[in-house]
Amino acid sequence: MRTDVLHAVRLARIDLTMLGRNQTALFNVVLLPLLIGWMYTTLAPEQSIEGVPADLFILTGLSGMMLGFVVFVNLVNSFTARREELVLKRLRGGQSSSVAIFGGAGLSAFALYAFQTVLLSVWISRLGDGGMPSNIPLMLLTGVLGVAVFALIAAAFSGITRNAELAQISVLPVLLVVIIGSPVMGPLSVFPEPLQIVSKLIPTTPVTEIMRTAYLGRDFIGDGGGTLTVAEQWIEALPSLGVLVVWVGVAALLARWLFRWDPRHG
Amino acid sequence: MSGLLVEAPGSGQDLAIEVGGLHQRYGNFEAVRGISFTVQRGELFALLGTNGAGKTTTMEVLEGFTRPGDGHVRVFGLDPWKDRRKIRPRIGILHQDAGFLGDLTVQETVTLWRGMSADAGRATIDNALALVGLESKAKVKVRQLSGGQKRRLDLALAVLSRPDLLFLDEPTTGMDPEARFATWKVIQDLKAQGATVLLTTHYLEEAERLADRLAIMHEGSIHTYGTVDEVVSGAGDQVAFRLPMSAAQAKERFAEGLPFVQGIAPIVTYTAGGTQVVYTLSEGSEAARAQAAVRSLLAWADGVGVTLERLEIRRGTLEDVFMRVVGEVR
Ligand SMILES: Nc1ncnc2c1ncn2[C@@H]1O[C@H](COP(=O)(O)OP(=O)(O)OP(=O)(O)O)[C@@H](O)[C@H]1O
Ligand SMILES: [Mg+2]
Repeated sequence: MRTDVLHAVRLARIDLTMLGRNQTALFNVVLLPLLIGWMYTTLAPEQSIEGVPADLFILTGLSGMMLGFVVFVNLVNSFTARREELVLKRLRGGQSSSVAIFGGAGLSAFALYAFQTVLLSVWISRLGDGGMPSNIPLMLLTGVLGVAVFALIAAAFSGITRNAELAQISVLPVLLVVIIGSPVMGPLSVFPEPLQIVSKLIPTTPVTEIMRTAYLGRDFIGDGGGTLTVAEQWIEALPSLGVLVVWVGVAALLARWLFRWDPRHG
Repeated sequence: MSGLLVEAPGSGQDLAIEVGGLHQRYGNFEAVRGISFTVQRGELFALLGTNGAGKTTTMEVLEGFTRPGDGHVRVFGLDPWKDRRKIRPRIGILHQDAGFLGDLTVQETVTLWRGMSADAGRATIDNALALVGLESKAKVKVRQLSGGQKRRLDLALAVLSRPDLLFLDEPTTGMDPEARFATWKVIQDLKAQGATVLLTTHYLEEAERLADRLAIMHEGSIHTYGTVDEVVSGAGDQVAFRLPMSAAQAKERFAEGLPFVQGIAPIVTYTAGGTQVVYTLSEGSEAARAQAAVRSLLAWADGVGVTLERLEIRRGTLEDVFMRVVGEVR
């Protein structure tokens, strides 16, 4: 167990080193979602949404969508490329366990996501009253679960993606669903009926809702948008956290079923 | 069960690898068809064979990469698939093909690997690179290395943790003669320190030089195994000479053909320099038979008035055995 953690940290550090050497990838992964967020704020139809200034409402809801880029796209690309380049084969032939290898990938994605979240928080804080987010531990837990879900889904997706070029395309459907289906621009209740159903099913929705609640200290999970104490925020978030845990389980099964270490397969 | 095993001298505790009646299939294709062999601790065992014979497939089962099909497989007495976590820290793997993170430098690659190996504490990066002659490339990106240099880096990583058991799948492919020689030395040194090695190679000379025992595989089966001497002794001695004439001349002069010796027909090869004639005497031939063969050939040569150039009696080689195994099956 200790070795696994140690190996995962080392692998994650290498991942980040290499990403640092690849500016294009870094831009796509870290800055693109923030750019989309900024675009959304300029498109917002109303001055305020649910009693919150529109730009604040939108930016505090970016966290779900961000997972699609920084975790999902990033990891589908890296898993697929590394499988085809037989790097996964080498890693698996070393002394690290599969858990450590996955853990390393997840950890590096989490580090990027956390970095992005910090950037976003600074931005939000400058727009709002300049304060800190209301519930950082809740954000952290939600972040961990969200990254886990999308890292596992990425592992599964890489298994059905033949090569790195196709990875650019195979991620699109998921990315599209995540961008359109997450309640970034408004609460779920204003979405058209069919979209609401999609939104309720995808894992970015609980992330978006919990994160927004945890940023602003107001209820954006149930209805209303009323102010919540920290304890109330946790209670309100519990069902959504449960949904995320279920998603982790489903995604883990999918990954187990579809993930491939070696390109020499069927 | 043990009836299937090719027992090494001494067994049980002393065995690093046991394979008994292993079958391995990919879909409908049976890549390994019931092979059996054992490797003793401290032994170097070479798996030789044609392309697609199933060597890599067998290795990957033993490395815990692939779930074993039917049959019995043990590494250090453990199940390589189920007990992977116990076995991994004790083995080193050099795959036939495995990729590197091309953006890392050679040094970063070894450092990463060292950080993930149980017992690599003792090996410094410099030592590891010096071992394979890559000191001067430490700061170079891996993607800039030549094929042979990558192979050397492969070796450096495989032996970094001083494994008890080393899997080397064509370690010297793509290496220049000097690097190959250096690699042999690395392997022999590890062996001298007690490591067990399972090696595949297409260089028969490499196997002859390094292997304690070897097996020749073809189309999923082992056809011959034993020590190099045992295997080669099955090849039979050869009597060979050259006739200083072209194909056309030879055919004209020996219209009724070259003589049989002890009932054996010669194999005739026409080269630029002349006509090469080889008799392979029956297996395990005694010196007396070779002598008799030479005597009868000399008598024949005197009779027809021809000179036998470079007349020699030579020991059959591993190559002869290999070609025969492959030829018989084809
Ligand atoms: N994943 C796979 N799917 C289907 N067939 C496979 C797969 N892996 C190997 N094979 C087949 O199994 C056979 C044995 O392959 P293997 O790689 O073990 O051969 P090898 O003895 O190592 O050959 P070489 O000397 O060329 O490395 C080959 O015919 C190969 O095509
Ligand atoms: Mg092979």
